Amino acid sequence: MKYKTTGATTSIHAGGRLASYYWQRTRRNKLAIAGLAFIIFLIFLALFGPFFTMDPTEVNFEEKNLPPIGFSVEKSTYDIETSEFTTTIIPGTWKHPLGTDNKGRDLLAMIISGARISLLVGLIATGMAIILGTIIGVLSAYAGGWVDNALMRFTDIMMTFPFFLLLVLIVFIFGHSLIFIVLAIGLTGWTGTARLIRSESLSLRTREFVTAARAIGARDRRVIFRHLIPNVMSLIIVITTLSIPGVIMAEAALSFIGLGDPTWTSWGIILSAGQHTLDTAWWIAVEPGIMLFLTVLAFNFLGDGLRDAFDPKSNI
Amino acid sequence: MSKTILSAKNLKTHFYTNRGVVKAVNGVNFELSCGECLCLVGESGCGKSVTALSLLRLLDSPPARIVDGKVSYGDIDLVKCPTRQLRQIRGKDIAMIFQEAQSALNPVLSIGNQITEQIKLHEKISRRQARDRALALLEEMGIPSAERVIDAYPHQLSGGMKQRAMIAMSLSCDPQILIADEPTTAVDVTIQAQILEIFRNLRARKQMSFIFITHDLAIVNEIGDRAVVMYGGRDVETAPVSQIINNPRHPYTKGLIACLPDISKTEKRLESIPGNTPNPIELPPGCPFHPRCPKAMEICNRDMPLPITISQGHTVSCHLYT
Repeated sequence: MKYKTTGATTSIHAGGRLASYYWQRTRRNKLAIAGLAFIIFLIFLALFGPFFTMDPTEVNFEEKNLPPIGFSVEKSTYDIETSEFTTTIIPGTWKHPLGTDNKGRDLLAMIISGARISLLVGLIATGMAIILGTIIGVLSAYAGGWVDNALMRFTDIMMTFPFFLLLVLIVFIFGHSLIFIVLAIGLTGWTGTARLIRSESLSLRTREFVTAARAIGARDRRVIFRHLIPNVMSLIIVITTLSIPGVIMAEAALSFIGLGDPTWTSWGIILSAGQHTLDTAWWIAVEPGIMLFLTVLAFNFLGDGLRDAFDPKSNI
Repeated sequence: MSKTILSAKNLKTHFYTNRGVVKAVNGVNFELSCGECLCLVGESGCGKSVTALSLLRLLDSPPARIVDGKVSYGDIDLVKCPTRQLRQIRGKDIAMIFQEAQSALNPVLSIGNQITEQIKLHEKISRRQARDRALALLEEMGIPSAERVIDAYPHQLSGGMKQRAMIAMSLSCDPQILIADEPTTAVDVTIQAQILEIFRNLRARKQMSFIFITHDLAIVNEIGDRAVVMYGGRDVETAPVSQIINNPRHPYTKGLIACLPDISKTEKRLESIPGNTPNPIELPPGCPFHPRCPKAMEICNRDMPLPITISQGHTVSCHLYT
């Protein structure tokens, strides 16, 4: 039995897969691509940079507070015998392209190893928060009834709790370990995601394909993981990119107020160490600051670009 | 008469909403015989779709609840059987086709993935075999270049193709019963004709029973064996299709048939039944049709008419025949 057909496959895009279609759309946003390029650069730097730089923990008081390349500082020394001030101009050297801190450690090496920590914290904590948020949100929407009510009220409570205070509390109780910082951020940061995913899933749940999935004999777990979650994937990707900078900032902020893990040189730690010498050695605080600024900006640009690409209503 | 494969007795599905209890299905009875095509006919809101969804308990609860009745499949009561057992019946023994293929197909899974998912849920079968079966099914549905369609996503297919893909999906486990919920409503007439052709061919080749839900009497006439006319959540008349078309007894069925345009006459206006379908929250007392019924009597306002068999296989629920 063969039938004549009126419709053939229409090809919206050559690649066939949806992912390539979204990539086409994202590519049109120059800022997003710049952000993506910076993020990739940063990941490479974090992965391979430490093999090429000097030891970021190597202390050398002879070379403390050296300015970065292209800058110089005046250094006055008081000579007791002649009772005179001699002022020497110290320029930046290629040995320490970004200068050194108040213990003579190489800032380039510190910033590159800091990139490792900041990215790692950002990715792992965000990953935890997103997974938790997605599961809670989808479950809430799919189960409905009292499950939905209980989960959402719990989310409300978590949301009203001052996030930063909670972080400080957890770090204060469990200690300055990086693991606890990651856990603290991950376990508190899921609330917004849960809300967003829930509202998206609520509208998806009423779509016929969910009923159809149950009509072919799929169990609830399968409907959730195979039919609902893939449909909110675009939202998940956007939320992830947009919340990584927040997490990186949170870690930096914790480190800045002295609750960071001192065994790891994260950007926040360098920043807080540099704040006391802003008048004499400004670069110690400014350099990690610039890196933080660029990283956060890059993730935000990419997130915005992805959101526009995934939004069927936007015309790009 | 061949033996009954599925029957619904006094099925009642109510929705508990903030504004009150919506009695969408309020006592439906029908029997589906082996190899038969039974049509559920009625206006929008008469409870046809809810009936279909209730058969496999696919409605979300809350707000929906099957408050009473029995759906017998063999010796299993689908209303009361455990969910585990029901899941094994869904898709394998009783499959379902939805009104809009556009929304009934998952937009992020390829057609092939969706068909093989169903096969793999019910049978131990390798990925390769499942894919071959899916391919064969698509070809059987008359889809050209099935090799390409199997890896396509729903948005890449036309409406008719999607509808066919969905039918292919529902047939993948060789179900005994196929419930089709208005499969021809959302497509244009040429596709509609092709889909009806597919159903006719299926009936000719497979021992399969159909429950076909539609509001289109022309389609009922085209493919149905028997028809159940529904009104206000109840079955008001059940009869072989030829009886329904040529010899309707219930005033509502008569009204429906009178509404059909007759090509041999050149009337200016089409007939219609005055009034609207009843509000399912406040169904009128007695017979739900009596406020619109041209032959309403005093008793219609009081008592619910019981089904009466007026000839072989023809039952009517109306006080006119008591």
